[in-house]
Amino acid sequence: MLGKALSRWTLAWFASAMAFLLAALAMATFGLAGPGRWSEGWALAAVHLFALGWLCQMMLGSLIQFVPVLTARPLILPRLALPALILCGAGTLSLAGGFLALDGWPTGVLLAAGPVLLGLAFGLAMLMLGGTLVATRAWRTQDGSTVLLALLALPVLWVTGAGMGWAFGGIAWGAALLPDGLSLHVLLGAGFWLTLAAMGVSYRLFPMFLIAPDGSSPWRRAALIAAALALALLLAALGVLLAGGDPLPLAVACGLACAFAAGLYLGEIRRIWQSRRAPAPETNMQWSRAALAFLALAALLVAPALILGGPWAEAAVFVALAGWLSTLTLAQMVKITSFLTWIQVFAPLIGRAPVPMVHDLTDARAAGRSLALWVAGVLVGAAALAAQVPALFDIAALVLLLAALLHGHELIAIRRLRHLSETARPAGLPPMILPPSDRRTDHDIPRPASA
Amino acid sequence: MADLHDLVRDRLRTVLDPETGRDLVAMGMIYAIEVDGGHVRVDMTTTTRGCPLADFLRLGVETALQSLEGVASVDVRLVWEPAWTPDRMEPVRAGA
Repeated sequence: MLGKALSRWTLAWFASAMAFLLAALAMATFGLAGPGRWSEGWALAAVHLFALGWLCQMMLGSLIQFVPVLTARPLILPRLALPALILCGAGTLSLAGGFLALDGWPTGVLLAAGPVLLGLAFGLAMLMLGGTLVATRAWRTQDGSTVLLALLALPVLWVTGAGMGWAFGGIAWGAALLPDGLSLHVLLGAGFWLTLAAMGVSYRLFPMFLIAPDGSSPWRRAALIAAALALALLLAALGVLLAGGDPLPLAVACGLACAFAAGLYLGEIRRIWQSRRAPAPETNMQWSRAALAFLALAALLVAPALILGGPWAEAAVFVALAGWLSTLTLAQMVKITSFLTWIQVFAPLIGRAPVPMVHDLTDARAAGRSLALWVAGVLVGAAALAAQVPALFDIAALVLLLAALLHGHELIAIRRLRHLSETARPAGLPPMILPPSDRRTDHDIPRPASA
Repeated sequence: MADLHDLVRDRLRTVLDPETGRDLVAMGMIYAIEVDGGHVRVDMTTTTRGCPLADFLRLGVETALQSLEGVASVDVRLVWEPAWTPDRMEPVRAGA
């Protein structure tokens, strides 16, 4: 069957993630989150809509598409993609609603239910992704083992998050995680799960996008070893914390190992960039450089953030989540959406009729404008957190919201083939978000525009 | 009359890689062309083994060759050894 390696639900994951991104940014724009207020209910809700709803869903949706590329075999149990998406969305909403109990809302039950739903979602995702990686012995490759290490961090992230959430319901071991376990939870989410997954996928995708030699390298091996050491240090810090000790020395050592791994990763990406054959890197790669710069900044801020906390920690986490991970995600989202749309519409025409190039589906200037606005918003937001100026953070959130709306507009234009001339546009278009319902043909035949 | 092998190669130059805009021959993705009477066999690859376009490209090549005069049957195989590298690409000609 043609397109058997393609996930049918990637665009639904993306659309859901974009909705959560807009919701989180709208909440921040209205002043519900900001410097020094991150332990309030509304702020925690906004943070989790951003981290779980936006970033985590984007990563899971992307992995469901790219693990088959990494392993060169279709995903096992692909039918779990939709239930995982529904559970992840419901769990994120439940958790966000539950945090409002901290502000006096009667939503405590949601705080208990959210982690259960998220645990089920992560479990289904682990079955599909981890199962495929293990079945293909992906640990033998450096990109596969990096993604596997990321997936190993996911259940630990869940345990720390669920423990802290349930601590409000009186779970003793969860209470032991507060407040010092928070930094470990953030490190697990931003530093291990999301960053390692992004690293593993980019090892394969960046050479493809840049037409550069692919394969193993000493940089990748060293980064993987440093990351594995960092994860071991984090688990040790978690053990010390649960045993009633001070986890800070181990957490700082973990942070330094993370920063070292990030430095090695950046060295590897520099090597790939310099060996590229693509004469002019496209928008997704041009703006990924801004994301990589934010990764370098976040790596530099890890140790001060862990030791000094306060504005240092707030700025570091913001740079990691909004700067590094979100800029990378938004930049690559343009390419992935164009590519998937091209496959749905034009791939069946290869060899039969003239077809446009994948990059013809994108308006590089429009995508570049929204990404530039996003980067500007991140810089202003990071400055606002470092200087602890709430009004400036509200402005940054508004800029980010506008950037996300513009980016969403461009993504819709890509899906509707609006950048193609009338003659190059086919009569039928695939559905905007949902997969084609005709199981006979899957992605093979475009459906009428009204579908 | 041109040799069928050359005609096949010329026809493959009309099938483009949608990422780079270069044809499959220029991309170095055509590993072998064998012609036996009217039967044509092509060994081709993609830039990475898990490429989601692999089957579409294989079918596209098959379709492009089937309409070629003198071709009775076409057998296109995806092969992964040796792995594709950018060194296989033809140099970009000035003005191309």
